[in-house]
Amino acid sequence: MQPPGNTPASSGRKVRGFAALLAAFGLAGGIPALQAQAFLDAIDGALSTETMQGQVRVQASGTLELEGYRFSQPSPGLLFTDGRSLLNPRLSVYLDAELGRRLYAFAQIRADRGFDPSSDPVRLRLDEYALRTTPTERGGFTAQVGRFGTVVGSWVPRHGAWANPFITAPLPYEALTGIWDTAAVRSPRQLLSWAHVPPAQVVRAEQEEKTLRVPILWGPSYATGLAVAGRLGKIDVAAEWKNSSLSSDPGVWDDLPRRWRDGTIGGRIGYRPGAAWNFGFSASQGPYLRASAEKTVRAGTKRDDYRQLVLGHDISFAWHRWQVWSEVFVARFGIPGVGSADTYSGYVEASYRFGPRFSFAGRLNRQTYNKIPDGSGGEAAWGRSTWRFDLAPSYRMSAHTQLKLQHSFQRETNAPTPYSQTTALQMTVRF
Amino acid sequence: MRSRKSAPPASSPSRPAPEAGWGRLGLIAWLAGVLLAPGALLASEIEGRVNLPPIAVPSERMPTQRYELPPRTGSPAPAPKTRTGLPTPAPKSGVAYTSDGTAMPNPRVAVVYLEGEFPLPAGAPRNERIEQKDLAFIPSFLAIQVGTKVEFPNLDDFYHNIFSNNQAKRFDLGRYRKDEIPPPQLFEKPGHVILRCDIHANMRALIVVVPSPYFVVTDKEGRFRLTGVPPGKYKLKVWKDSNTTLEREVEIPAAGTLSIDFP
Repeated sequence: MQPPGNTPASSGRKVRGFAALLAAFGLAGGIPALQAQAFLDAIDGALSTETMQGQVRVQASGTLELEGYRFSQPSPGLLFTDGRSLLNPRLSVYLDAELGRRLYAFAQIRADRGFDPSSDPVRLRLDEYALRTTPTERGGFTAQVGRFGTVVGSWVPRHGAWANPFITAPLPYEALTGIWDTAAVRSPRQLLSWAHVPPAQVVRAEQEEKTLRVPILWGPSYATGLAVAGRLGKIDVAAEWKNSSLSSDPGVWDDLPRRWRDGTIGGRIGYRPGAAWNFGFSASQGPYLRASAEKTVRAGTKRDDYRQLVLGHDISFAWHRWQVWSEVFVARFGIPGVGSADTYSGYVEASYRFGPRFSFAGRLNRQTYNKIPDGSGGEAAWGRSTWRFDLAPSYRMSAHTQLKLQHSFQRETNAPTPYSQTTALQMTVRF
Repeated sequence: MRSRKSAPPASSPSRPAPEAGWGRLGLIAWLAGVLLAPGALLASEIEGRVNLPPIAVPSERMPTQRYELPPRTGSPAPAPKTRTGLPTPAPKSGVAYTSDGTAMPNPRVAVVYLEGEFPLPAGAPRNERIEQKDLAFIPSFLAIQVGTKVEFPNLDDFYHNIFSNNQAKRFDLGRYRKDEIPPPQLFEKPGHVILRCDIHANMRALIVVVPSPYFVVTDKEGRFRLTGVPPGKYKLKVWKDSNTTLEREVEIPAAGTLSIDFP
């Protein structure tokens, strides 16, 4: 069954519409880019101010993005729409403030169609805010409180539209599993059903359930909490306590848990032998059900018995025009009475800069699931084994404007459409 | 423009005319000076002042530190104390912008150069060097002749990625470690080049490439002195900012100092 609005005539219109969108992006980015360079340079300087001989400094910066997506149903990853294309404008404003050498604060405000692109109207949100202190004069150790990206893994520092060579997140940060955070799994058969193994006969039903499912890490996971970070020679150490698990939906990132145990602890140890290499090991553990799911847990268990454990390893390398990143994660969702639902996910990503303007990136993603009893005496993987290959050329028209194209090929076992493709285009203006 | 052959600076190879009281000894000394310095007859100098109205230099951009600890730079030299007792950090960015996006050096200076047909000095222009140290370009402003090669060594323990998108020189060095030497870049076209770092957006520097071996950078008050200039008719140009280049027709005398001010 086709999703609504997917008649051949409307598909043709949408393809033409998407082509027109591509052309509009090119024109919008290309023609005024050079003229805009000087204007944006001037804005750049005007958005910083300082008083008390530089002891108090405040700075605004940000990006204006226009993204267009074209895909088959169900919509991939963390894109939420019934249609086959989506247009998402986004304004991200960052505020940074230094109060002497010991205090630093930052905030990120966004206006867009949802934290993850969706069909919703444009809304304004405060996505991140934190206050950080550096107790020692020499730096090297900080503590911060607020709502901010996770310290787990190595993708968060480059997840912004300007620094990220791709438009969508790597698979571990956006592939939805069969786990819901609004209700506890009561049986293996139920988990397989929620994971759509075997696939649902009605694609629309699977699309509608997307809002209930969670990935291993929900994007940069801007949950609320505390973090400490330090650097000891070549070793980086960071630890955090957050109000919700790495898989949690953005809707609960503001909620404060009633007890410390209801929160999630995580951390990363990194080793930098030089400027080129960075090795890291991460771990995180905490309950993955939201508070409202308490009433759905199995008799005799509590919500915090349903815990998510994530172990991760990351490697990054940079040399001249090359940059390579890789992360692998093992995630275990504990389900009392059912067992453990494990998933393994990772990616290798490489980017090459041909010059100040053109660069090209490729990413190979993979996610698999362990087998659980299928309720019929056999076993079945509790999710669809997935391969995804992303290609992304990007072109910087100036130091402030960038045009990025991404095409993704995905293969999922036991999916209604085993092979699917997604095309995305993103125009970014940085200020 | 006013020619002032009678009062050149003391450092000039040419000599002032003898005063009445000097007598024969003075005349001999003056003649000896002229004869022993033949080059003085073929090279003159231009001095003057370029009006550089003060601009509101914007505050320094902060290094990004939202998701990572800022890289630890070398032990920063203590900034000079002001009357308030608080330190005034030296500017990290060598570029300031007006509200219409015009780029200029920070602190503000101008480049004065001679344009025309003249014998070029023998040999290639000497190589120049801009270092990256403690999240800044050092120096953050450089004037060079067309044909000059510039090296960009990284003296920090972490990566920088220098690039420029300007038409006068478009290049991207990539990422080089402290112990690597990136290939020097040849600047073949006149114009201005804004250097940036792709990793640290707060880093900026400015290079002005002039089509002449005869150029000088003014001081912060706009004063300049261009020496060793061959006599003849030329255009004297002043690069003030990315949108303003002034020029005057000048005739350089065989000896002496030409004094010119630019508004």
